[in-house]
Amino acid sequence: MTAADSSTAGGGASGRGPGTPDRSERVDGMEYFMHLEYHELLCPVVRRYAEALVEGRLIGHKCPRCGLVYAPPRGYCPIDVIETTDADEVTLADRGVVTNFTVVTPVQYYGQEETEPFAKVSIQLDEPGGSLSLQDVIDCPVDDVRVGMRVEAVWARKGKRDTSEITNRSWGSAEGAIRGWKPTGEPDLPADQFLQAAF
Amino acid sequence: MSSVPEIAIIGYAQSPSWRAAELTEPQFLFPVISEAIERAGIERRDIGFTCAGSCDYLSGQTFAFVMNLEAVGAWPPISESHVEMDGAWALYEAWVRLQHGDIDIALAFGSGKSSPGRPAEIYPLQMDPYTLTPLGADPVSIAALQARAMIDAGKITEREMAEIAARSRANATDNPYAQVTGDFDVDKLLAEDYYTAPLRVHDLPPISDGGCALVIASATKAKEVCEHPVWIRGIDHRIEVHQPGMRDLTESQSTRIAGEHAGVGDAKVDVAELCASFSHQEKILATELGLADDVEINPSGGALAANPMMAVGLARIAEAARAIAERGKHRAVAHATSGQALQQNLVCVLEGD
Repeated sequence: MTAADSSTAGGGASGRGPGTPDRSERVDGMEYFMHLEYHELLCPVVRRYAEALVEGRLIGHKCPRCGLVYAPPRGYCPIDVIETTDADEVTLADRGVVTNFTVVTPVQYYGQEETEPFAKVSIQLDEPGGSLSLQDVIDCPVDDVRVGMRVEAVWARKGKRDTSEITNRSWGSAEGAIRGWKPTGEPDLPADQFLQAAF
Repeated sequence: MSSVPEIAIIGYAQSPSWRAAELTEPQFLFPVISEAIERAGIERRDIGFTCAGSCDYLSGQTFAFVMNLEAVGAWPPISESHVEMDGAWALYEAWVRLQHGDIDIALAFGSGKSSPGRPAEIYPLQMDPYTLTPLGADPVSIAALQARAMIDAGKITEREMAEIAARSRANATDNPYAQVTGDFDVDKLLAEDYYTAPLRVHDLPPISDGGCALVIASATKAKEVCEHPVWIRGIDHRIEVHQPGMRDLTESQSTRIAGEHAGVGDAKVDVAELCASFSHQEKILATELGLADDVEINPSGGALAANPMMAVGLARIAEAARAIAERGKHRAVAHATSGQALQQNLVCVLEGD
C-alpha cells in the first residue's frame, strides 16, 4: 500500500500489503501511516478575530489590569488570571519589528510540502502592542532576516481573504488574510532591545 | 491507609458536559478552576502544587496541556505537573505530593474535548501498535466484546444493561452538568437496533467536552478553611495487562485490589460514583467492589450521562464529594478508569466528618 492510499483510509491502514509471510525473515519494523482529522468550532473571540481579518484589521484583547495585549484575543489574561471581553478589544497595528526568528530547513518527511529553507518570525506590533508568532516573511531572502528588522503586513486582496485555516490553536496566525510580512526599509531597531521578549 | 496523613477535599467544581464546546479547553477551565478555589475558601497563591490531566491526542495539538495552565495562573511560576491521564490520576499525584508535608494545599484538574476528533480513530492508537491499532480496535468494539463475554458467562443480560442506562439517565435529570438525561422506558430501549452488538446506543457514553477541578488540603489546613471537609480515607490504583485478550474481561481484578487497598469494605458505603463508560461495566465494578444492594450507584448519572474524557473520572470523585458535602451522605466510593475495557482502575473512599 502506498502512503497516498493509506492516508485516505481513515486512520486504520497498515503499511505493508498482504502476502505470505516468510517465517525465516527477521522483522525489524513496520510502516504505519496515521491519519487523524480534527474539526474544531472557533471560539467566539477567535471567530471575531477571523472576521476582523477578512475586513483587513488585526484585533486583540488588552488586559485591563496589566495592559498586555493578546493577539488573537484569548478571552482571558493568563498573567492576572482574569477574563477579558469585547470591552477589552483593541485594533492592532499591522506594522512592527522582528523580535525572533527560526530558519527551517525542510526535511522531506511524509507530508512535508516545503523544499527550500524558510523563515518563521515573531513580530512585536507597534502601538498599542501585541505580538504574532510563526509569521512568514516575503520579499526578503532568508539570510537577510534579522532581529530588529522593521516589517509591515502584506494583506491578501479584499475578497481574496480566506480565514478557513485560522484555528483556536494558532499562535497569532493570520494565514489566508495576511500573506506575510515584508521589510519596510526603515532603519533596524537595536536587536538587544528584544532580548527579553518571550517570543 | 491509617499511617498516612489525612487529606481532605475542600473545593470542587465542574463544567457542563457539552457535545461540542464552543470554548477552548483553557477558556472553559477558567471558571471551573476559579469556582473550585473560591469554594475552598482559599486564594490562588495558597496552592502549593498543581497537577492536570489531559490528552494531547484528543486536542490534536502537541503540548495542548501547557495552554490549559493559563486557566490556573502560572505567573509568578508555580510548582506543577501533568499526567496524560484522567484528572483522577492528577488528584492521586497531588495527594501523594501532600504526603510530603511541606505544602498544605494542592489543585488537581482534568479536561478534554472529544468533539474535534473522531474517538473511533484516536483511541485505537492507545492499543497494541502491531496487532490491534491496525485493526481499528476502538473502545466501542472492545466494550462490545466485553459485554458479549459477560452475557455468554451469564453475568448480565441486555435488559439489565438497559436498566442501568435508564437509571443513569433518570438520575442525571437533576444533574446540571449532565448531557444525556430523561426518563426512558426499558422495553423501548431494548426495541432499538444494535449499534455494535450486543451494545445499543444507550449502552454507550455520549461524546463530551468538559472539565473538572478539585482542591485538596492537609488535615490542619482543611479544618482551618473548611466547615465540612470531605476526607479521603483511602485512594489506590492498579493496572492490568495492556493486551485485552490476555485477561478475563468479565471481571476486574485491578478494581478489586484497588478497592481493598482503599478500604471500601471497611464500613458501610452510602453512595458509589463509578466510571462505567459502558452500561455493563457498572455491574463488573459494583461486583468487584463488593457494593451492597442498598448502595446508591451513580446518583449523578455517571459516565453514561456525561463523558468528558480526562475529566470524567475526576468528576466521579467530585460527585462523590458533593453527595457528602451537599446531600448529607456519610461514606462514598468513587472510581475512575483508564485504558480499554477497565484496564486500569482507581478507587477512592471518601467520608464526611
